[in-house]
Amino acid sequence: MANTRQNVWALGSDWADPILWYARGVKAMKARALNDRISWRFYAAIHGIFPPLWQQYGYLRPTDTIPSTADRNAYWNQCQHGSWYFLPWHRGYLIAFEAVIRDAVVALGGPGDWALPYWNYFKQEGLPPAFASANWPDGTGDNPLFVQQRYGPNNDGNVFVPLSEVNMNALGEPDFEGVASGGSPGFGGVATGFAHGGRIHGAIETQPHDWVHGLVGGGLSPQEPGLMSDPDTAGLDPIFWLHHANIDRLWEVWRQNPATHVDPSKANWINGPASTGGHAFILPMPGGQSLTYTPGEMSNLSALGYTYDDLSAPPSPLVARLERLGVDVTEATAVARRTAMAKTVELLGANTESIRLSGTEARTSIALDPAARSRLSTNLNEAATRSAAPDRVFLNLENVRGISDATAFNVYINVPEGENPANHPDHLAGSVALFGVRKASAADDKHAGDGLTYVLDISSIIDRLHLSGAIDAGQLHVLLVPRNPVATEAQISIGRISVFRQSN
Amino acid sequence: MTLSGICSAGLRMPLADSFNWLLMLAAMMPPLIVAPLRHARERSFAHRRARAMFLFVIGYGAVWMTAGIGLQVMALAAQLASSDTLTCLALSASAAALWQVSPAKQWCLNRCHRRPQLAAFGAAADRAAFDFGLSHGAACVGACWALMLLPLFARQAHVLTMLAVMLFAFAERLENAAPLAWRWRGPGKALRIIAAQARMHLAPRERALRTND
Repeated sequence: MANTRQNVWALGSDWADPILWYARGVKAMKARALNDRISWRFYAAIHGIFPPLWQQYGYLRPTDTIPSTADRNAYWNQCQHGSWYFLPWHRGYLIAFEAVIRDAVVALGGPGDWALPYWNYFKQEGLPPAFASANWPDGTGDNPLFVQQRYGPNNDGNVFVPLSEVNMNALGEPDFEGVASGGSPGFGGVATGFAHGGRIHGAIETQPHDWVHGLVGGGLSPQEPGLMSDPDTAGLDPIFWLHHANIDRLWEVWRQNPATHVDPSKANWINGPASTGGHAFILPMPGGQSLTYTPGEMSNLSALGYTYDDLSAPPSPLVARLERLGVDVTEATAVARRTAMAKTVELLGANTESIRLSGTEARTSIALDPAARSRLSTNLNEAATRSAAPDRVFLNLENVRGISDATAFNVYINVPEGENPANHPDHLAGSVALFGVRKASAADDKHAGDGLTYVLDISSIIDRLHLSGAIDAGQLHVLLVPRNPVATEAQISIGRISVFRQSN
Repeated sequence: MTLSGICSAGLRMPLADSFNWLLMLAAMMPPLIVAPLRHARERSFAHRRARAMFLFVIGYGAVWMTAGIGLQVMALAAQLASSDTLTCLALSASAAALWQVSPAKQWCLNRCHRRPQLAAFGAAADRAAFDFGLSHGAACVGACWALMLLPLFARQAHVLTMLAVMLFAFAERLENAAPLAWRWRGPGKALRIIAAQARMHLAPRERALRTND
């Protein structure tokens, strides 16, 4: 029988049995020593560990016995980000973690079919109450689901994910694999080898994954990020696992809606990074065992014995776009269903200087190349009479560097002068949380110091500018609005902001 | 070597040897610049792509041609110090081995992985592509200068040594950037790829979820 992961909001009460048993399982894991492979901290370090931050927050103490070098090399710092392995690696991580918790639950007399709930932040705004209280339901302290370093979107300890700031637009991506050349990063990311922090985040990774990490974790200063804001501490927060269960659910939603959505068929994806000389995906399991797995083995959720209580999909954003461009509703639906990723990508425009993001906003202008703009306009003009999807347009924030992973900002295009951007959601290009930027900016680490590159689909905004004729001005005005003021010490910079056209 | 021999060698270098050096670069470097060239192409306007790649190659080549003078002077000095080719080869191999394990080599290799932002318009775009070539060339020289001495001394097996160095340099670039440290670094990833592929073909995985002790 399949394990069914349920929405945490639909369990019936704040401390319904699945949550209560989760808390007891977490407590059991937290009681284990760091060098125990199935301890809480060992498991968090599998995602990533930055010893100075762990020491600062008391998660790494002088009295700890550090695991052997072999264990650290085999297990720690494995999380896959900025990579097409993002989804399958985290699916394996969830399954192994769930097995460890379930083992503890059963040992404590709990149900053998316990399954990890997921946090559906598209349904309800707040943090599940069991995670927000320092107390157990009987009022006693030491609730293991509570962590101090969870600061929320306003950095005041009130943790919630505003419904208006998360979306499932990534589900409209036709292909799992994206391109690294400025076009769509795909639903699941771009091809990489073993990538413990790749450069370009896939659509589902940028929104809602990164954004929820950033809003939940927040940060008091660049040196004091919330646990969820930084990949090297995120696994220490018990809400991490419910967040990732929701991301994992969205993978299955994408696969089923429509059935033409398929995972990559390339051998490098199916067989994983170990097949190309990279690190194997390996996780500790109860009973002193370990699980090695490949992305291909994570693809079929039901074959793994799992399902979710809700796999329904929102309406396709592409259908809405086609209608806006004058395509008949029936034809729009048909086009959306047969649309595969367009592969021809070209630079459409760029700003001229790198920008620093500090304080409450930053602005820049993007000049468009006349020839490329003309090709785009022609394509959009013909959208109503063609049976193929129109060109897509992507804003690239290239080489984003800094030392504060807790930085989160909204990106707007052509907000009318003097207007509050919050009143113009139709000008919102996307939301970016710099999950992983500290590591990606270090020149002499596993990255080359290039920072991260974010790719936002701005086709809808461009459509409107095209229909109104405003695109002919040849310039786009970009406004970056941080969720909270950005300190200068965060050293946030964006190397270039560019626009790419992706066509058939 | 007599004084006239030294002078003759010194005069010969800028002419014949420079041409030989250029040929050697042309033969060895293409595999090393595929990825940065792709970056220069993809981040440029369609009508500037060829120009951006050309300027990158000019910058990159200029650094290597300049470095070639220094390397040939080093080779000449070594030959003056010892007329025994084997001794010179052993000396250069020792220098290459020492450089290979040094943090400085890793510093250079890390910079070979850099993909900077590039200006898109006008003279700034030209400058950016050229500068990218210069900086990539400098990192490349830093990573490979000691290895490049080997074919200069291996007169008897020049082409073979050149090929071996090219493969080695290409293979070591397959590794990701890494923290600076004294340690061996080389074509490990290439060997792991070969081993992994062989393993997959000889003993494919049988079950979806396998647990190991």
